Amino acid sequence: MVGWITTALPNKRGLQLSLKDPATLLGLGLLTTFSYLILAPVISILMDAVNVNFGDSTRIGAEQGSFTLYYLERVFTSPISQRLFWQPLLNTLSVAIGAMCIAMVVGGIMAWLLSRTNLWGRGWFATALIVPFMLPTWTFALAWTTLFKNRSMGGQPGWLESMGYSSPDWLAYGPVPMIFILALHYIPLVILLFGNALRRLDSQLEDSARILGASRSTVAFRIILPLMRPALMSAMVLILADALGEFAVPYILGLPVQYDTLSTSLFRAISSRQTGVASVLAGAIMVLGCITLTIDLYLMREARRFVTLGGKGAMERRRPLGIWRLPATLLAATLFIIGVVLPLLTLFLSTIMRIPGRFHLSNFTLDYWIGTNLNTIALKNGILLTPEFWSATWNSLRIVGTASVCAGLLGLLVGYVVTRTPWRWLASSLRQLTFMPYLVPGIAFAAATLSLFAVQRGPVPALYGTSMILMLALIADQMPFASRAGISAMTQLGKEPEEAAQISGASWLRRMWSIIVPIQKGALVVGIVLPFISGIKGVSLFIILAVPATEVLTTYSLRLVDYNYTQAANAVVLMIAMLAWGGTILTQKLTKTGLAQGLES
Amino acid sequence: MPTITLDAISKQYSRQATAVQNIDLHIKSGDFMCLLGPSGCGKTTMLRMIAGLEHLSQGRLFIGDQLMDSPADGCFVSPEKRGLGLVFQSYALWPHMTVEQNIEFGLRLRKLPERERRTRTGEVMDKLGIASYAKRYPSQLSGGQQQRVALARMMVLKPKVLLLDEPLSNLDASLRLEMRAELKRLHQAFDTTILFVTHDQWEAMTLATTIAVMSEGQLQQVGSPDDIYARPANRFVAEFIGNPPINQIAADSTLGSRLNSQPDTHMLGIRPEDIHLTQAATPYALPAKVQGIMPTGGSWVLDLETEGQCLQLSTQIRPQVQAGEHTFCQIQPEHLHLFNTDGHRLENTRYGQARIIRNNVSTTTYMHAV
Ligand SMILES: Nc1ncnc2c1ncn2[C@@H]1O[C@H](COP(=O)(O)OP(=O)(O)O)[C@@H](O)[C@H]1O
Ligand SMILES: [Mg+2]
Repeated sequence: MVGWITTALPNKRGLQLSLKDPATLLGLGLLTTFSYLILAPVISILMDAVNVNFGDSTRIGAEQGSFTLYYLERVFTSPISQRLFWQPLLNTLSVAIGAMCIAMVVGGIMAWLLSRTNLWGRGWFATALIVPFMLPTWTFALAWTTLFKNRSMGGQPGWLESMGYSSPDWLAYGPVPMIFILALHYIPLVILLFGNALRRLDSQLEDSARILGASRSTVAFRIILPLMRPALMSAMVLILADALGEFAVPYILGLPVQYDTLSTSLFRAISSRQTGVASVLAGAIMVLGCITLTIDLYLMREARRFVTLGGKGAMERRRPLGIWRLPATLLAATLFIIGVVLPLLTLFLSTIMRIPGRFHLSNFTLDYWIGTNLNTIALKNGILLTPEFWSATWNSLRIVGTASVCAGLLGLLVGYVVTRTPWRWLASSLRQLTFMPYLVPGIAFAAATLSLFAVQRGPVPALYGTSMILMLALIADQMPFASRAGISAMTQLGKEPEEAAQISGASWLRRMWSIIVPIQKGALVVGIVLPFISGIKGVSLFIILAVPATEVLTTYSLRLVDYNYTQAANAVVLMIAMLAWGGTILTQKLTKTGLAQGLES
Repeated sequence: MPTITLDAISKQYSRQATAVQNIDLHIKSGDFMCLLGPSGCGKTTMLRMIAGLEHLSQGRLFIGDQLMDSPADGCFVSPEKRGLGLVFQSYALWPHMTVEQNIEFGLRLRKLPERERRTRTGEVMDKLGIASYAKRYPSQLSGGQQQRVALARMMVLKPKVLLLDEPLSNLDASLRLEMRAELKRLHQAFDTTILFVTHDQWEAMTLATTIAVMSEGQLQQVGSPDDIYARPANRFVAEFIGNPPINQIAADSTLGSRLNSQPDTHMLGIRPEDIHLTQAATPYALPAKVQGIMPTGGSWVLDLETEGQCLQLSTQIRPQVQAGEHTFCQIQPEHLHLFNTDGHRLENTRYGQARIIRNNVSTTTYMHAV
């Protein structure tokens, strides 16, 4: 009896003490919150995929809520499966792989030129070539349609068309422009990841191989390439994962010619209220996302075996390009023109031209920005004078801003709990749970959120149509970045500054408010601003979850595209691009960290 | 002023890792106690348990006669309510506050009026010589200055007990000497009980009124510095304290059996300064060969070989021999430390005589029974 008591006591006491420990209590609260925000939607949508949904009971011949394989069969084996899933899958993979290959080759060459050679204007290009990554992908898509749109679609023709050259469908729409545009978008990512790895690679390794008598090509293939393989593979996988969930580009360039990808197919299923099919598609996208990121995790583990690389002094050595210096510099300049100047200039010019492609002074106007009483059916004023534009801007700032502040704070709290709680399982389950949305492409996660919050469940009212549901989905979507930022900041800080305050007599709230939050101010800013930027230019969550009352800039501009108000749509996109770019620059100025480091963390 | 009493306390971080094991310790009020031991022996853990930053696994902890932590009674008083001061090894200054704000923080928490805060902060900064940095941020200070700010931050609260975790280990040698003197002065000026952690034996010897030696989570010996040096309770303490380290001679070796015949002895220890060189063959003299001579600034360390055993000798007198020469060394049996097979100290039956001889050198009172 006595023995039993003495052995039982430490555990019970551990429990008692932990329940008085603010970090553990907070952790339990966070765990509940994230289970609800992240885990529950995913489970809910997976359930929807195998249960009879509302309105389908007569067709399936089973009661609502009972188990069924109907949706799985419909998506994977029925005659319609070809159109619902297999063709979109094939399309998605070809676009993703095509974009990846081009981005790897061009980005790889540029990374090498920028970090290892005496290219002219290296420092300037190193920043300038990153710009496309800060712009929303559909900036390029809209610029493309502005240039190449042909007669097969209504609305204003593209510049080429109005100049008299009719561009063929394969050039105007479908896989070719999609691959091209996504490649442009991912080249900066390759430059960043690959360039960092190259810079860390000690050139003494090359030199020592040379001294041993290896030729240049032997060095390239036997030394550099194997060492760079993890970085290469990792960039490939990241691009694939990201391209799987890409929505806006296929929406603009694929839909007109029925070129569906998984995300547009999912979008169609949702807009035609086929919840069951949508759930299966969302599940399939999640599985694909999980597969690619599992591969990435595996590769990163591989990569860690190489981290001993990197002497210091020898890194700055650059190879002279000789007669290739000018052509190489021109190549970089061309990339900058195609990736940045051309699309932005096209978009801008399109917003100040009445008739596309006619470069005549009388054709230029500022009406689409600030005009009144335009000769159009709706949208009678310039975009800056349209109340809907301002309400969409306000919604964007309000919804994304609130969500980012919440995500940043929650991320810091997660970091606090993970570094403080004595319960290991609590720390690791929080870490994994907040990482989960990273595995789920945005459009699938939006569908999942919709599936959970569309109807009333228990005490929680139906949230569809409110800005609440957007904020919740955004917060969840931003948690992977926010919590990683929080954890690394708290790990660096250590426990002692807080303990010193505790010894001085400060209560928990006081310690959080006077010590932890002020010290972590910088990390908090990053944890808020970066998610804010990606939220502002994001499409996939909003396209599913927003309604006219909660319209944000991105959905507003897509709607303008649908209504063929090209100038207005382009103007809105330019505003978004400006917000995103300005925000990035601001963060860099505020925190004095390069974008490259931000991406690496 | 309160005393601190540790009653059979233990700390397990996990089932395998026992950091502190069954320690009884009593720290008298006004004491300057030093916790001495190699790194990783559990010193920081002890301090953190006393401060309340770690929970005990077993045992009871009292400050004064108030129970602070006892798993068996389900009692735990949180750190902010214990009224102790703790200076961290890394100082843990708050980087977003100036020196002044750092020091003032605790007073603000106690809702002292502005005027009193100013005077107390000013006083403590003057005393520690950091008044001229009041408006600087911690990152703009040197290590020694930061250390003094960390100290001031605790001192200003006038804690009854001050815990210091290796506060001098990040300082360079000369600054360390200076701070050592300052700590001793502060102990007297502020009239606090100080518990000081270090792995540096000289720091412990010069500062402490009482030393507690730890190894692998267990208390080895508690006593005055002289006591610990002159009567090490076991082989660990004998080896750990003293530089150059004590010479160890197996009791059953030729040399060992010549020096000592007391039963149960397993190992003999002789401090390097207790070996003397002689020219002639006196009764205790042993023939020895000088292997090497190392000057260590005002004293010399000699490597000797005697009866197949290497011994180190240290002396303040310039040795009159050369490396490679043969000479004699002398070891008084009453200077030997005897240890049994478990490593525990055996009473040297001839020790009493030795003490009488040595008494004019060291004026030690042996009041701390082990
Ligand atoms: N938070 C902890 N979790 C697990 N083990 C710990 C922790 N802190 C210290 N230890 C272990 O406890 C032992 C004593 O550590 P510590 O008290 O820091 O030693 P010291 O301060 O004497 O160097 C070490 O073996 C250390 O690894
Ligand atoms: Mg320590």
